[in-house]
Amino acid sequence: MASENIATPSATTALRRGLVLPLLLLVAWEIGSHSGLVNPQFLPPLEKVAGVAWQEVANGELPHALAASLKRDLLGFALGAGVGILVGLLLGLSSIADRIFTTWFNGLKQIALLAWIPLISLWFGFDEAAKIVFIALAASIPVILNTVEGVRSTSTKLREVGEVFRFSGPQLVWSLYLPAATPSVLTGLHLGLIYAWLATIGAEYFMAAGPGIGGLIIAGRERFEMALVMLGIVVVGLVGFIVDRSASAIEHRLVRWRNV
Amino acid sequence: MSDAILETALSTRRAFAARGWREWSGTMMLLALITRAKATAWLLIFPAVTLPIWIIGSERGWLAEQILPRPADVLHTLNEMLASGELAQHVGISLLRVLLGFAVGAGAGLALGAAMGLSRRVDDHVRPLFTAIAQVPALAWIPLAMLLLGIGETLKIVVIAKAAFVPVAMNTSAGIANVPRALVEVGETFRFSPLQMLRHVVLPGAVPPIFTGLRYGLTHAWIALVSVELLASSEGLGYLLVWGRQMFWLDTVLVAMIVIGIIGFASDKLLAAVEARLQRWRTDGV
Amino acid sequence: MSRAAERAIRAETPNADQAAARGRLEVRGVSKAFTVNGAPIAALNDVSLTVRPGEFVALLGPSGCGKSTLLRLIAGLDRDYKGSIVQDGEAVTGTSLERGIVFQEPRLFPWATVRQNIALGLKNAPISEADKRAAVAAHIALVGLDGFAEAYPHQLSGGMAQRAAIARGLVNRPRLLLLDEPFGALDALTRARLQTELQRIWAHEKITMILVTHDVDEAVFLGDRVVVLAPRPGRISRIFDVPAARPRARSDDDLVRLRNEVLRTLEHDGAADPQLSPGSRSDA
Repeated sequence: MASENIATPSATTALRRGLVLPLLLLVAWEIGSHSGLVNPQFLPPLEKVAGVAWQEVANGELPHALAASLKRDLLGFALGAGVGILVGLLLGLSSIADRIFTTWFNGLKQIALLAWIPLISLWFGFDEAAKIVFIALAASIPVILNTVEGVRSTSTKLREVGEVFRFSGPQLVWSLYLPAATPSVLTGLHLGLIYAWLATIGAEYFMAAGPGIGGLIIAGRERFEMALVMLGIVVVGLVGFIVDRSASAIEHRLVRWRNV
Repeated sequence: MSDAILETALSTRRAFAARGWREWSGTMMLLALITRAKATAWLLIFPAVTLPIWIIGSERGWLAEQILPRPADVLHTLNEMLASGELAQHVGISLLRVLLGFAVGAGAGLALGAAMGLSRRVDDHVRPLFTAIAQVPALAWIPLAMLLLGIGETLKIVVIAKAAFVPVAMNTSAGIANVPRALVEVGETFRFSPLQMLRHVVLPGAVPPIFTGLRYGLTHAWIALVSVELLASSEGLGYLLVWGRQMFWLDTVLVAMIVIGIIGFASDKLLAAVEARLQRWRTDGV
Repeated sequence: MSRAAERAIRAETPNADQAAARGRLEVRGVSKAFTVNGAPIAALNDVSLTVRPGEFVALLGPSGCGKSTLLRLIAGLDRDYKGSIVQDGEAVTGTSLERGIVFQEPRLFPWATVRQNIALGLKNAPISEADKRAAVAAHIALVGLDGFAEAYPHQLSGGMAQRAAIARGLVNRPRLLLLDEPFGALDALTRARLQTELQRIWAHEKITMILVTHDVDEAVFLGDRVVVLAPRPGRISRIFDVPAARPRARSDDDLVRLRNEVLRTLEHDGAADPQLSPGSRSDA
């Protein structure tokens, strides 16, 4: 339908409005911490946070921790995604596997992710392997769910075409189910990346051996260094944001044939 | 072949259920029962295979007790904890925290989401900050919150509330903003006041997405509860996990995990049932 | 339609003649422009039309001729235009219960039953609750949906949903009923059936109706007059009188002849359309 002549606020207006609250917050923060209204231990001035940030970058702590976290994240994700796709394909394609396993999987999935940490730490200890297993577990769940859905929702009509051309089993999987399931699988991988990053931080909190952003935050808390904690939080959010956006962009590029 | 029978039986059963149980015939009930029995039989294959292996394995000492306790031990611990009321106590504390935190967080989420959905201005002002906060998972906020609030109940409620707040606000604002303009126009032709518009057009249409948001919020609230209890608590299910872990009592850990799973499952099913009732108008129970 | 329903409707119209004197529409010099990608597009250019009380007018034309735009202006859903639109001596400044509208999609609220949907139309009607209930029941019967009052929209076929939408459009007993391609989304058989229904309802209710359509047969079958609009800029090209007596049969010689004449006018307009270059197919 043609657009009505309603005055829609332009993008710049939206931008201006969006900046109001954050700016107000920052100003209030500065005033609060400098004037001593709030205990500076609870609310360090922005310059202090920036200063700490610079310090941590300069002495190599921050990049080191970030690199360690990212490495775990990607390893765990790769493991979880790989296993996830295989399991998802199995559950989706084989009705026997579905009947035997799906309900149990759904049941296990109900256990809050972090509740697995004590068990995993009992089995694997506190080192890298344990963390990567946990991250893989976290990433695998959305991958499995979305892969199953992708395979199941391959429309009957397309399946019939495959039958008419007498596709063999492997041909069906390769030429029909996999491409048809790809959008869902990509969604699953996207979610898996998000969960993996969350799990990385969680793993670093609870299995606190070794460097990492999570470790940085815990250290900040133990030493009552609010600025360090805040820095850690900002980094966590930033990485999460970048990962999410990149995944979206890749997803869109790979699935251009879909008119979503 | 059996798939076809299953489908027929299930769809017939649904159709009958929609019309009321009076129209059931004995054959239909038998058919439905058979299909149910078949499905259950398949389900039992997995435990039927793994359970004996577990039992025999722990008897024969194939795996250390710390890796996999004897099933009998797990059951025994479960019984003990139930009988002594210890389990009930921990469950009670955790449930209370989740309920309170969820109520606070979801309430705030509904309010803000509604404001954002109804007013473009509010949305413009709030969304960037909201998105920034949403990017940081509740987990990351915990140490900050611990520094500010200590490790008392307030900490737990606040963390849980934050976890529930984000998905509820997001889904509520989307649900309200996405009510089709076509239906709003219908309301305009009948001269609906803003209140009438809200009550008869916007809110009913937004209920499904709002409910999705509430379900996500509850899931996140649970996860947040476990996180915060793992880090900073002396009671509750999360504490049980930590304690069991520290004492190498795997059976306790397993019991706690099972209880967490059951409660998570039950609360999700409950919300799903409420959602289904509210959405009878969508599909006929398919 | 049941006796009881007939009585109910008649009871609401104490004086059919008096009712028929209302529903007069005057459109004078209406122009409207949209801005698309910075360039102004004249959707309507100086359109004038008078609709007599109780008349059935069909607005016919290809896409882009402004017929739906005009209808929305008459309904009061859009207030941004030049010129004047006056109904029964009062300027149209917004929506009103005096002007009912049926859209191309039924636009029924999916969470409400048929009965509740129609009742929502009476939310702001100044009559008693008992009268409202009676009106809803009467109109459900009027459109032939007896027995489906408690059904939800997703349980209805396309044709039934549109009937419900028509009932809702009529439940306030408006002076004017506006229909924007109401049968466009339906299959040919349902469409034909509903056109006959609409003719029956119009004859019974004696309400002024303005129907927008791109279907020549529909326009000629239903209308007292067929107003042909041409696009770019949107304007009235020609107005045809349809003198055929009612009830009409689609195979009437008069109708067929008129239909062909109208088609010729449309083709002529299409050939003269500045946007359509020689050799390209017209939109109609």
